[in-house]
Amino acid sequence: MFRHMTREIRFLAKDRGALFWLLLAFTLSVIAVSFGVTEVREQRETIAALIKEDASDRANALKGQEEWGSAAYYAFHFTYAPPSDFAFAAMGQRDSSPWKHRIRMLALEGQIHEADTRNANFGLVGRFDFAFLIASVAPLLLILLLYDLRAAERTSRRHDLLVATAGYSLAIWFPRAFVRIAALTILLLLPLWSAALIEGTSLTITLQASGIAMAALLIWWIIVEWVNRIDASPSILLTSLIGLWLALAIIVPAISKAVIETNNPVPDGGEILLLQRETVNGAWDLPKDATMKPFIAQHPELRDYAKIDGPWAWKWYYAFQQVGDQKVAPLAQQYRKARLERDRQADLAAFLSPTSFAERAFEKLAGTDTRAMIVYEDAVRGFHSELRAFYYPLMFPEAQYNPALLNNLPNYVPPS
Amino acid sequence: MAIPLEARSLSLLRAGNSVLDDVSFTINAGEIFALLGGNGAGKSSTLLTFLGFLEPSNGDVLVNGSSVRNDIAAARSAIAYLPESASLYGHMTAYENLSYFLDLAGKPANREDIDAALDKVALAEEARTRRLQSYSKGMRQKTAIALALLRETPILLLDEPTSGLDPVAIDEFHDLVKALANNGQTILMVTHDVYGACQIADRVGLLRGGKLVGSFSAENGERIDTETVHAAFAERETA
Amino acid sequence: MNAITRIAREEWRLWMRSKIVIVAALIVAVLLIVTSVLTADRITAEQSQRLDQQIAAEKTFFSQPDRHPHRMVHYGHYAFRPPPPLAMFEPGVDAVTGQSIFLEGHRQNTAMFADNKAAADLGGFSALTPANLYQLLLPLLLIVLGNALFLRERESGTLAVMLAQGQTGVKLALGKAVALLMVIAIFMTPLIAIAIYSVNLGESMLAASALVAGYSVYLCIWGAIALAASIIIKQRAVSLGFLIFAWLFTAMIVPRFAINTSSAVIYAPGKIESDLIMLAEQRKLGDGHNAADPAFQQLQAQVLEQYGVEKIEDLPINWRGVVASNSEAELTQLLNRYSEERMTLEAKQSHMFDLFGLGSPSIAISSLSRTLAGTDLATHHRFLRESEALRFDFVQSLNKVHVERLSYADDINRNVDAASSMRARVNSDAWQVLDAFRFAPDSPQQRLGNAGLSLTILAIWLFMVGGVILLAAKRVKL
Repeated sequence: MFRHMTREIRFLAKDRGALFWLLLAFTLSVIAVSFGVTEVREQRETIAALIKEDASDRANALKGQEEWGSAAYYAFHFTYAPPSDFAFAAMGQRDSSPWKHRIRMLALEGQIHEADTRNANFGLVGRFDFAFLIASVAPLLLILLLYDLRAAERTSRRHDLLVATAGYSLAIWFPRAFVRIAALTILLLLPLWSAALIEGTSLTITLQASGIAMAALLIWWIIVEWVNRIDASPSILLTSLIGLWLALAIIVPAISKAVIETNNPVPDGGEILLLQRETVNGAWDLPKDATMKPFIAQHPELRDYAKIDGPWAWKWYYAFQQVGDQKVAPLAQQYRKARLERDRQADLAAFLSPTSFAERAFEKLAGTDTRAMIVYEDAVRGFHSELRAFYYPLMFPEAQYNPALLNNLPNYVPPS
Repeated sequence: MAIPLEARSLSLLRAGNSVLDDVSFTINAGEIFALLGGNGAGKSSTLLTFLGFLEPSNGDVLVNGSSVRNDIAAARSAIAYLPESASLYGHMTAYENLSYFLDLAGKPANREDIDAALDKVALAEEARTRRLQSYSKGMRQKTAIALALLRETPILLLDEPTSGLDPVAIDEFHDLVKALANNGQTILMVTHDVYGACQIADRVGLLRGGKLVGSFSAENGERIDTETVHAAFAERETA
Repeated sequence: MNAITRIAREEWRLWMRSKIVIVAALIVAVLLIVTSVLTADRITAEQSQRLDQQIAAEKTFFSQPDRHPHRMVHYGHYAFRPPPPLAMFEPGVDAVTGQSIFLEGHRQNTAMFADNKAAADLGGFSALTPANLYQLLLPLLLIVLGNALFLRERESGTLAVMLAQGQTGVKLALGKAVALLMVIAIFMTPLIAIAIYSVNLGESMLAASALVAGYSVYLCIWGAIALAASIIIKQRAVSLGFLIFAWLFTAMIVPRFAINTSSAVIYAPGKIESDLIMLAEQRKLGDGHNAADPAFQQLQAQVLEQYGVEKIEDLPINWRGVVASNSEAELTQLLNRYSEERMTLEAKQSHMFDLFGLGSPSIAISSLSRTLAGTDLATHHRFLRESEALRFDFVQSLNKVHVERLSYADDINRNVDAASSMRARVNSDAWQVLDAFRFAPDSPQQRLGNAGLSLTILAIWLFMVGGVILLAAKRVKL
């Protein structure tokens, strides 16, 4: 076998057409990976800068406050999901879901759905990252490398001579295809490996990613091999392969997506917001009890401090913020569940398309899939309830305002 | 010793049409057998059957006494095949082509061996490091023959080996083939060139419509009579 | 002329006999029709839904009970952006940006709940839209049909026969071009149907026909590229390989490359980032809720002098309302400065992205089609600006009510007891200050003007590829 390989490596070294595709693959991989690394660095820098500015802004805001309520009102807290050490390879949902929020103790539902805007064109066209390269572009390159392996020899009437000389057809076509695919895989993965070294990606993840890339290419190889057995002209083979690629890389994912989304409607985001605002704003006109009762149901330990005298009190203000959240909780839950369910079904549908499968697998490894974004949202929710847990025991018994205690404000810890 | 090439009541159907119909012949070691026939007579199909590319629908083909269908690879390794208008790789030099194909055959050769073979086919030395795309048809044919020589197989299958060659090149080629046969190689050649066939073949088989319709042998050290064969060929063609 | 149509007819006969051509064309046609119908259906539904939501939002606002006017400032309002008629061909950025926005005092919110965030994630491609199919799939079909247009004659040796008969290469090329043009014409019909339907729904004739024209040019560019390759390249598989590569490069690689490059070259900070910087500045402006904020002392002196009184309690107007109105104006100025900056940066990025159209007709056509359909980034920005104007308008009108219709004494005592809080309210007829908001796309002339760059780029492409064809066809030898 080794003899066959060295022979075909030498043969490949003289095939300028194939070398062009291989060089292109390598260049694209370098570009994709360096774009990814730059983007991840930028995001890290942004996060680092924001952590700093956020702290000083909060210190500034807390200066001169005299009540717990106003301290909580003016102090924002920065939350974020840092890019993983493999995010450079697949930016995934980080481009369409927010990965940073500044929140305060007001109703969370009014804050957590805010999107940190990016140029909308970006979300529309999509990013050129390694996951896209390996899932969508690499199969095309593989097709272009392999489609006329046999057919070209047939057209130039070399096929029979080659096979007759080799003895059996596997002895020539397998090593020839294998060498090309191995070269393609290595050239695609080399930049990824270098970037993984630079970024300090763990070996397991790098190996898993390489495995996924190889599996994806292997599947496409099998497809090409299967089509190539047809005794047809190279152009017909290429046309059929491009058709298959279109079907598997674009049409099947698009149809699956449409079917999944129709079958799993998410509650209209506007509804969540509308209900939340109505509840929070409506509370001003309601008797205080209407707010405090549902609030106490959630916080029985604050029962003794839930009596509101007079038209205004901070604790009443925060109580109706929370009741606003409570009221929309079922809708928000439904929204979260529907997203998870869509994601779960997309997992299954991905088996229909190697492209979707590879891209999703990469996003999972990179922690940029839908689930990771929901984990971040959960972390924000968790932190927001920590804020409440910090302020409520001070605010409700109307404890003496003591700025020193603010040093114990909960610290946001990003999900890992 | 086993008979190098043998067709036993060989019949071949392709897409429902009969290509070969009950063809039988044997070729002995060191013999040159020319299969003569017009277009579509089934000449090339016969060669492809010996190489295992086509499977007989009836009868059998044997290489060195064993049926091709039993071990295609073994049959192929005993045969050097020179396809019609043999095209090696245009983007490689003669050296590179030969070295590649010999590797493919599992019979790597060094530069000296290759040079010796190219000397034998009289390919100009300056041409050997040029790419084949700059070669004339004759030069390409010579390179392909050199490949067949270098394989050192007991059997040689030639498909229209002289078509498109100039008369001088044809003469050189004929001399080479005769020399190979004298060396003990068994040669099956298919052609529509009556004159050429009679020039070098020990026996000529006439193929018409997939049937072997005539056979001529050289006797008493004389060549086969071209006139007789031509008459038979033409008669059958017009009949 | 006769020779040209004869050549074209011959080409068609060949196509009609090729199974692969028929199958490919049928698949594309079916996809095109199904996607068009589904998208048109979805967009028209969304359109009426958005309009209903807008009207409902206004009704709810008007029907609010008597309240403190500042409470209405926080109660807020919604602005909706219904998709324009041509969005059923090109939904554009709508799925990414979200199409509704919550408007309230002291804040500029972003448009929320973009469909993309909750979308099932199945890889790098967005959902199929008619525009997508025209941009990606039809070039491929033209490649399949056109890669061997000229080459075939060369391969089969008929080229020699034709040239020997006195036909010129140019004539032959023209005949092939006519054959391909007929294909393009046939595949333009779904778009033409959508365009006519959109005109029925109120779209202007100018925009609809410009869209049709733009796509015709785009498809002609691809037909021309295929024809040029088939003239210049001598082997069929090489020509097809080259064309597939050209497609891969211009339709998939260059656009994404352009996105990455323009975002790397022009850094546009995220909203949180710029908000933080802004917040620091905002603190200097003072908190409009707190009339005692020292930041308002100068204003106080000025207003007291204007009314010739000593104390704010003696003012005939509500001092707290004055502060609210003043700080809203200043804050809005600040907010607008930042949002304008951000939008300018984004527009610059988009402009740079558009310039990459010189390297890829796909970029040019997608920009053109978003602009003409009114679903581009610029239109979204205008929506943000107009909804901001709406926000500022109703907030300031409410602040005016605050200044004029609520006495200062009632206002500062609003939290003393239940009765005083009842006094600190104004009659709900005051909520009629809200203007009706109906977002409409730019005028067709304006859209056409905005699409100028993309249109020019497409014209350059067609001109250049046409030139290449002419040159190559003139030089055709055996």
